[in-house]
Amino acid sequence: MADKMSLNQKIEKLDTEVEWFYSDDFKLDEATDKYKEAVSLAKEIEEDLTKLKNEIEVLAEDFTK
Amino acid sequence: MENSFSPTEFISVVNQTLEYTYSSVVVVGEVSGFKVNQGKWVFFDLKDDESSVSCFMTLWSLRQPIEDGMKIAVRAVPKLTKFGKFSLTVNAVKPVGEGSLKKAYEMLKKKLTAEGLFAAEKKRPIPEDLTKIGVISSTQAAGYADFIKIINARWGGMKVTVAHTQVQGMDAPDQMIRALQYFNERSEVQMIVMIRGGGSADDLSCFNDEKLVREIAASKIPVITGIGHEVDESLADLAADVRASTPSNAAEILTKDKNEEKKRIDRLMEHTKQALMQNIDLAIRGNKEKVARISRGIIDKYIEPSLELNREKMQKALELISQKFKETNTLFLTKMKLLDALNPEKVLRQGYAILSGKISPGSVVKITTHQKEIEAEVKTIKERKENG
Repeated sequence: MADKMSLNQKIEKLDTEVEWFYSDDFKLDEATDKYKEAVSLAKEIEEDLTKLKNEIEVLAEDFTK
Repeated sequence: MENSFSPTEFISVVNQTLEYTYSSVVVVGEVSGFKVNQGKWVFFDLKDDESSVSCFMTLWSLRQPIEDGMKIAVRAVPKLTKFGKFSLTVNAVKPVGEGSLKKAYEMLKKKLTAEGLFAAEKKRPIPEDLTKIGVISSTQAAGYADFIKIINARWGGMKVTVAHTQVQGMDAPDQMIRALQYFNERSEVQMIVMIRGGGSADDLSCFNDEKLVREIAASKIPVITGIGHEVDESLADLAADVRASTPSNAAEILTKDKNEEKKRIDRLMEHTKQALMQNIDLAIRGNKEKVARISRGIIDKYIEPSLELNREKMQKALELISQKFKETNTLFLTKMKLLDALNPEKVLRQGYAILSGKISPGSVVKITTHQKEIEAEVKTIKERKENG
């Protein structure tokens, strides 16, 4: 699922996941799974940050006319 | 016979010759006699110290305000009117020189401000998940190269579509307008970036073109400008949703720094780990307290009463033992005193003597004092009466 998201969306998701640990919704029995999920997403983001390149396209259109 | 023309024919031939020779000419001079007729026709003279030439144009073509005394450059077609008057039909005007540029800038700024074109409430923020941007710039410009270099260094995963246009000169505004329209018609980008590196006031004056400024303000897609240097302020900057001070600054505003973001995520995960550990510790401590509470309850309910009984018994036993011990001790001390009093050495120290041996007349007896032992002969023996 995370693959279909943009880099910014993944970062936003990670921030939301992390907030749960500080919220009233925190439950110890869910914490390990949630933490593993966050670590995995953080790793994915770091890989994206290292690998992702921008795609630059110069339009063929002639704007002089 | 020389060629003869009717006036109409002559004017037509002259105009054909002018068009062939000077299809488009740029003339620079000072404005004089500026006036607007019927709200749409503009007339003025362009002069220098010796000569003057009449100019005509539509108000629609006048993209930067002018007034008498301003030095301007006009791009025009020379023409002879049907009344035989020579005139320049102007299609573009540009103020020339610092004073004129500043004057034109201030005049247009005042007009557009009054219309609310630069109002703060019209400004839109940069989209949060920015992945598609359209760039309007000259791909040969240094400012463009700076922008691309910084955006690539800072972030990834973006699609950058570039519309190559002129960014200075009289043709630049129309080209940039067409590029703005191109992006707006397609709605494929989330933000339009208009950039140009540093230059003279004259170079940057195309960004004060009224039509371009209006097009920026009307853009459906938010626009960010990064034009010239920090100190340069164009009307395009004022009309844009976001103004960056330079092309590099525009790249910095649009993107996060991936290295900073990596560090932030590392910190975030470290803090989360700590938060998780703290929560586990709290849970353990909570359990311990719970166990302690339960234990205390059991002790209070089941163990303490019997313990209390035993304690009383033990107390009584201890008191008894203590009493017995005291009695024993007193007895012991009495005996010790008695023994002490009966000690022969103590008696000798008090000045008494001990007589030992057979007591009969003529026998030798031993007398022991505190410090001496004496042998003595018994001479006589008499009975003694006890005193008191």
